[in-house]
Formats: sequence, C-alpha cells, structure tokens
Amino acid sequence: MKHSKMRLSTETMNLGFVRKVEALSGSSVRRCFQCGKCSAGCPMRSFMEHPPNRIVRFLQLGQYERVLAGRSIWYCASCETCTTRCPNKVDLAAIMDALRKCSWDAKGPSKESLVQLANRLFIENIRTYGRQYEMRLAAVFNVKSGQFLKDLMLGPKLITKGKLRMFHQKNRNIAEIENIFARIEALRKKGEAP
Amino acid sequence: MTPAKNLLNYSYYPGCSLHASAKEYDESTRGLFRALKIGLHEVPDWLCCGATPAHNVDELLSLSLCAKNLSLAEEVGGDLAVACAACFSRLKVTQHRLADNEEKRRQVEYAIDGKVSFDNKVKHLLEILAKDFGLDRLTAAVRKPLEGLKVACYYGCLLTRPPEVPELDDCEAPTIMERVIGAAGAETVTWSHRMECCGANFTLSRPGVVLKLSGDILASAKAAGANCILVACPLCHGNLDIRQKEIEEASGQWFGMPVFYMTQLLALAVGVAPAKLGFDSMIVNPLPLLKEKGLV
Repeated sequence: MKHSKMRLSTETMNLGFVRKVEALSGSSVRRCFQCGKCSAGCPMRSFMEHPPNRIVRFLQLGQYERVLAGRSIWYCASCETCTTRCPNKVDLAAIMDALRKCSWDAKGPSKESLVQLANRLFIENIRTYGRQYEMRLAAVFNVKSGQFLKDLMLGPKLITKGKLRMFHQKNRNIAEIENIFARIEALRKKGEAP
Repeated sequence: MTPAKNLLNYSYYPGCSLHASAKEYDESTRGLFRALKIGLHEVPDWLCCGATPAHNVDELLSLSLCAKNLSLAEEVGGDLAVACAACFSRLKVTQHRLADNEEKRRQVEYAIDGKVSFDNKVKHLLEILAKDFGLDRLTAAVRKPLEGLKVACYYGCLLTRPPEVPELDDCEAPTIMERVIGAAGAETVTWSHRMECCGANFTLSRPGVVLKLSGDILASAKAAGANCILVACPLCHGNLDIRQKEIEEASGQWFGMPVFYMTQLLALAVGVAPAKLGFDSMIVNPLPLLKEKGLV
C-alpha cells in the first residue's frame, strides 16, 4: 500500500473551521483521541462511507470539505449513542448537527439529497400548518423525489386504519409561527445569530 | 373535568403523530389517565416541536419552536406531560440548553417574542406513572393483570438520551418500562436490542435503513421469547408495526409481533374498555394474542 506524506500544521488543520463547529455545537472537536467507541455503537455506521470517529479525525486534520460533501453526516440518525458513550465528553451528535448546518447553509455539493429533501419539506410543513401533516409530507416527498410509487401499498391501508388524515387544519396561531421564522431570518441577516 | 377531582394535574403535549398516525397512543393515554384520575389538559394551539429535521440543520429554529410550546404550556399550568419520546427529548433539551447559555436564550427570546419558561418540568408519561403517581398505586388500580404476555420493552433512542438531559432513568441500563408494565402484571424478557435505533425518520427518505434496523430489533425480541413489543414513541411504533410486513418480506423471517403503546396495555389492565384503545388501528393485529391470553 502506498502511503502519501501528510504535513500537519496549524495551517493544514484549519482551526477556523474547527472553532466554528465547536462554537455551533458547544462541544470540543480537539478533545477526541480516536478510541472509536462512537463508531462501535453507531447503528448507522454500516450505511456511512466514513464512520463517526473518522469524521472527527477529518475535522482535526483540516479535511472538512470531504465531510461536508459526503453522505455520512446525513446518515446520522441523531440517536445520541455516541454522545452517551464518549469517554472524553465529545458531543458527537451535536457536532453532526453543526456539520449538517454548515453543509445546508453552504448549499455546496452533498451526496445525500433525499434526506435533505425530507428535512426541508418537514420544516416547510411547520411554517405552513404549524403541525405536521403526515399525508402531505409523504405525498410531496414522493413527487419531489421522483419516487411516485414509493409506499403506494401502504397509503390505502393507513387510511382504512384511520392513521392518515385526509384533511388538515392550520394552527390558529399560524401568524405567530410565521413570525418566529421571520425573526430568525432577521437575526441572521443582521449577523446576530448563526 | 374539574381539576379538584383529579389526584394529579398536568398540561399535555400530544405531538403531531398522536393526531394522525399514532391516534391510538393518544386515545389510550387519555383513557388510562382518566381511569387513574390524573388530569391531562391539552396545551391550546401547540405546534410541531421540530423533531429531528429541525435540530439536524437549524438549532435555533428547533430551540425556538420548543420554547414557544413551553410558553403555551405555561398558560395551562402544571408540569408538562409528553407522550412522544422525540418531542419529550426536544422539549427537555431546550430547557437544558437555554438554562445555561445566555446568548442562545437571548436569540430564542427574540424569535418567540417572549420569555423562555423554565418553571414547569417536562415529563414523559412513564416518569409520571412511575414517579409521580407511583407503582404501588398503579398496581392497586389493576383490575385485569396482564398475565401471559411476555413483553419486550423497547426504549429506542430518545427516552434516556442524551444522558445529562432526560433524567428519566439510567441512560444505558434503564428499567422504568419493565417496572411500569411489571406493575400491571406482565412478564418482561431480557433482550439485546432494547435501546438500538429503529431507523427513525429515515422511514420517509431512506426506508431501506428502517428495514434493516427494525428487522434486527424484531428478530432480537423474537429470539428472547417475547410475544409482543412495548413502545413509548410513535416513530418506533410506525417502523416496527407499519413496516413489519415489508420487513418480513425483505428478510424472509416471520415475526407476527404485535407492537403496543405502553398506554394501551396499561389502560387495558386498569379496566378501560378494549374498544377505546385503538387495537383495530394497529397493522399487526394484536387481538389473537390478547384473546388467547384472556385479556379481551
């Protein structure tokens, strides 16, 4: 196996990005000493191209572009097993949230568009209705992802069981909910919130 | 529904699923709490907590949606009873994070145009039953012990994590579900996958994940000799119950494993009429098992 030389310095480590992730997540990235407990317990590890401990290592080595462009961060289920078991109190679940936010805000390349689509529709649903409208969420997801037949057999069954509501009422306080979204956008525009 | 008649009173946050795909969780919760004389007063105009999608990409939005719900709950008064494990975790995390981070709290208070409420505790239904109401009183209320059921108590991810937040029970070896359902006379099994992730909201974006992870959970429960699974989360229920047939087809294994909300079985035990517990809403029909054990 050919080994390429790697030069480590404060420059290659890109401390700026590490500090940004640490500020967003409220957790240290640098404290990780690569014991691998997070990956050992991760239920999503087999679906990821890079296991959780390697994500942290990439950050420590300044290779954050690889992390943001990959699918691993979008395949994290937020089960918090890693955070629970880390001997160094690295809050990896919060770091994953911070990385997804960085990737989401940058609108850069990502290999996992379906999970992002689901997230986006879920959040749009809150802004439009206040509460989740499961039927619409699934239907719009299928249309927008081009999987028109996904779970087709499930729909009628759930409707017969009364598990899907055909009609959905908006919250009465929907204007207040819109204000929450608008005020957050205003804070960001003024640079007063991440 | 005058509060004076109740032993305990809570504000109640059902969460979005309990109004549609998990309506049997809502029905059985209300039935159980009414039978135990615990008042649940629904928070008016509550909104989605943001669940996983919001905190995944926008922490400030997630904290603000939860803080708004907490302030709506304050108008009702009392500690906040939460049924869904995910809503419980989000609401609880919000109070925890905002209590010791002044900068985030200021941002959230601007976003919701009001103060963040810390006075009332966020409690999962299990916590209310086991700690506030008490297992002795629960046992005393049982009219039909759940004899013959071998229950695999499934905690999933968010009832006990992250460790410093939910305070429900031990974060790696909890026993609260076993104690609660045991108080109603059921036998519980020891099994390996009680805290493994079911695949959660990948059910929408990447259902293949759910088929694998939930398949492992069903197989583990079956291997341990369980004849049903007990859950306290609508998403876990959806993955284990609604997708069970698909999992069977994909894995070539047959499970036929009814998946109950814990309130369904507890309500049955304290004498609530089975017709009011939404057993007919479940995809894997639980009635053959319940009839065999003489419970319906």
